[in-house]
Amino acid sequence: MLEVKNINKYYNLGTVNEMCLFRDFNLKIQDGEFVSVIGSNGSGKTSLLNIICGSINVESGNIYINDKDITNKKDFKRYKKIGRVFQNPAMGTCPNMTILENMSIADNKGKVFGLGKGTNKSRVDYYREQLSQLNLGLEDKLHTKVNSLSGGQRQAMALLMSTMTPIEFLILDEHTAALDPKTAEIIMELTNKIVIEKQLTTIMVTHNLRYAIEYGNRLLMMHQGTCLIDKSGAEKDKIEMDDLLQMFNKISIEYGN
Amino acid sequence: MQTYILSLFVFAAQMNMRACLVEHWYQIMKRRTITLLMAALMATTLLIGCGNKDDTAGTGDKTYTVGISQFAQHGSLDNCREGFIQGLKEEGIEEGKNLKIELQNAQADTGIANQIAQNFVSNKVDLICAIATPSAQSAFNAAMSTDIPVIYTAISDPVAAELAKEDKSSVGNITGSSDKLPVEAQLKMIREILPEAKTIGIIYTTSEANSEATIKEYQAIVEQYGFTLETVGINTVADVPLAAESLLAKVDCLNNLTDNTVVSALPTILAKANEKKIPVFGSEVEQVKIGCLAAEGIDYVSLGIKTGKMAAKVLKGEAKASDMPFESIEESNLYLNTKVAETLGITIPEAANTRAIEKFDTITE
Amino acid sequence: MGIIISVFEEGIIYAIMALGIYITYKILDFPDLTVDGSFPLGAAVTVALITRDVNPYVTLLISFAAGVIAGICTGLIHVKLNVRDLLSGIIMMTALYTINLEIAGKANVPIFTRETIFDNDLVNRIFPEFLKDYKKLIIIVIVALISKILLDLYLKTKSGYLLRGVGDNSILVTCLAKDSGVVKILGLAIANGLVALSGSVMSQNQRYFDATTGTGTMVIGLASVIIGINLFKNMTVIKATTAVIIGSIIYKACVAAAIQIGISATSLKLITAVLFLIILVISRDRKKKVKANA
Repeated sequence: MLEVKNINKYYNLGTVNEMCLFRDFNLKIQDGEFVSVIGSNGSGKTSLLNIICGSINVESGNIYINDKDITNKKDFKRYKKIGRVFQNPAMGTCPNMTILENMSIADNKGKVFGLGKGTNKSRVDYYREQLSQLNLGLEDKLHTKVNSLSGGQRQAMALLMSTMTPIEFLILDEHTAALDPKTAEIIMELTNKIVIEKQLTTIMVTHNLRYAIEYGNRLLMMHQGTCLIDKSGAEKDKIEMDDLLQMFNKISIEYGN
Repeated sequence: MQTYILSLFVFAAQMNMRACLVEHWYQIMKRRTITLLMAALMATTLLIGCGNKDDTAGTGDKTYTVGISQFAQHGSLDNCREGFIQGLKEEGIEEGKNLKIELQNAQADTGIANQIAQNFVSNKVDLICAIATPSAQSAFNAAMSTDIPVIYTAISDPVAAELAKEDKSSVGNITGSSDKLPVEAQLKMIREILPEAKTIGIIYTTSEANSEATIKEYQAIVEQYGFTLETVGINTVADVPLAAESLLAKVDCLNNLTDNTVVSALPTILAKANEKKIPVFGSEVEQVKIGCLAAEGIDYVSLGIKTGKMAAKVLKGEAKASDMPFESIEESNLYLNTKVAETLGITIPEAANTRAIEKFDTITE
Repeated sequence: MGIIISVFEEGIIYAIMALGIYITYKILDFPDLTVDGSFPLGAAVTVALITRDVNPYVTLLISFAAGVIAGICTGLIHVKLNVRDLLSGIIMMTALYTINLEIAGKANVPIFTRETIFDNDLVNRIFPEFLKDYKKLIIIVIVALISKILLDLYLKTKSGYLLRGVGDNSILVTCLAKDSGVVKILGLAIANGLVALSGSVMSQNQRYFDATTGTGTMVIGLASVIIGINLFKNMTVIKATTAVIIGSIIYKACVAAAIQIGISATSLKLITAVLFLIILVISRDRKKKVKANA
């Protein structure tokens, strides 16, 4: 279970541009939930992810994973049990290393990076198998450098790599935003498949309302650091695209966005 | 005329077409060709050097090839070199007649000093003249397995540099001259001119072996003349102003060695010292000319001449470098600048006045 | 042939240093100026130990260790104190100037009368007469080969992958639950260890330590790395480490050729710059072509 409690987050504290993003923000995410997070720009979606992962600090408040306080834990330590895919496909892989090397390095997450052989020969078939389910032909290009792949291919790899080892949480930060519609579709389906197979608690930030509705079992709509909509299970299934669009319009008018 | 222009045009068009077709191939070949060309060029240059031998002018007279390896660009080092060439000339070995000189300057880079030495050795020069400690050490190292003699100059302490033994005798096929500063004479002179002075300050560069050696000498005997010594080490010429300020606050006079870096910043030091009316003593005639009060200096040109004569002996086969102990100039000459004395309000004692070999009454910029 | 041998000798000694710069400049993408200080550090440590009768082969290892410590310091300054990469290197390089002088004791320390890795009982016995001219070269090649092979093997290990990863995409390293700062420090440590090792071999070759040694090391190393990598860019059969070694030899050959022609040392620097430019331009052509067609 993931919980953020009493979070206060300011940007540019003490300067003319001081802005309070989160004021006493609370959120609880149960195991097995697949949460879609939508919201207007600057609503705090990515900041929320960064706070959970430890990439940014908070002025006050706590973050708990399975009732353990991880507020002061360094970001790299938290990633042991968290997988993350970024919006920019370039951030999920090493461009100057081959596909095989990237898979190998991801496979070693959570274990010691010692003087053992970088690529485990006996795992190569497993990597091939994993890559072939993408249907992008990557399993035949194990020795090509990743920087010669397209954005979609790199993002697909990033998704595989972040979920290869046993993790509890999957953080998806608009991971299909930079992809063309067809590739985005492929990636979303793959995401869903992996989440179900590995039973990962997932938080997915997206601007794509259709994905937010179709996938996942909980929907959050954020605006200026608060949750305007928070529906799970059956309630979520009832939500239509129009409802969400109406909500967006409403806040635009009300809050002058 | 018309046909000429037309054919030129056709030729150009043809070349252009050809160029487009082979452009891709051209790019690949270009790099390989250029690489090969460079490699060939370098190999040829190096091998030409290998083939270099002494010219025999056909009349049976031997032409000597001497490699001069100078460590850095610096007044006293340049003077040494000029003196060296002059010394050879006085012994009958002259450029243009029977002498070929290969001159190289390492610009204070020991890596280049090494390569210069190796270059001389592979060119099979008859003698290497090395000016200043690192160049001499590189030359000694490179020539060790050959029978090329090395003659050095402008090294303050050849023993510390392991190029000579304690008793001045040689450690191998190497000898030369030391530009040991006349420390005692200098101290005597300072005491003579400033009977009341208590502390002497010296600025030196931490990376100059010569300076280190000289300061050790000063520390050993400075008390005998009733002085205490204050020193400040600097790394680059930019450190000089602050070093001078800090030292001037504690001393009665400054004393200058032949340290490259410090000498290049001498005008700055003199300006600051003059503000506080503190006299600066030098170690060479050039320094007195530009504003130092006095110096018991050795003439670097004479040192070079002495070295040149030693080299001539070795070249002519009259003596072996391994049998020759290193030499130095024992006598120093007193140089005075009366204008500076006037500005500082110092009266130079009569004895010093008469003893001085040269007196300057102006300060050159 | 003497000049060719000495070009190879110098080239391969400095190649060990170039391997270190390859790690920081190419793999870590960290312009590390510490090398101007860690190269003479290796030399200072070596002469200090040799004048105290320490086994010259042991000095190689101790110099490597000294370089490792210097690299760790640079890394700590950069990672823990958040100083920019270039500045951390400059701070260490400046500090090392004083430290090296202290370690060596004097500004100029000769070791002509001592045993070195090139001149000791063991080595003088092993080498037969006809190989005497090549004695130094062979020993240098052995040291360089060992360094290169160990480095190649290391880059194929899990830790080596992580090192390559941190220079390529340090965010990924963090997402792999590893402290990218620690990995960078490790890279700096290994690199400066190699540089100091090179300094150690160099000081035993030239048989003295001088405080002016070291200035300009970064330029020599960078030139070697860039020449090597760009010249062999698309020949995948030649490993990057091999290319760097060849680049170092080529650079030293250019210097030797320039001295041979009689070019002054000051012009040498200009020539290095021009050489750099030519190499970079030649390899840039290819890159442009690919982009246009892609």
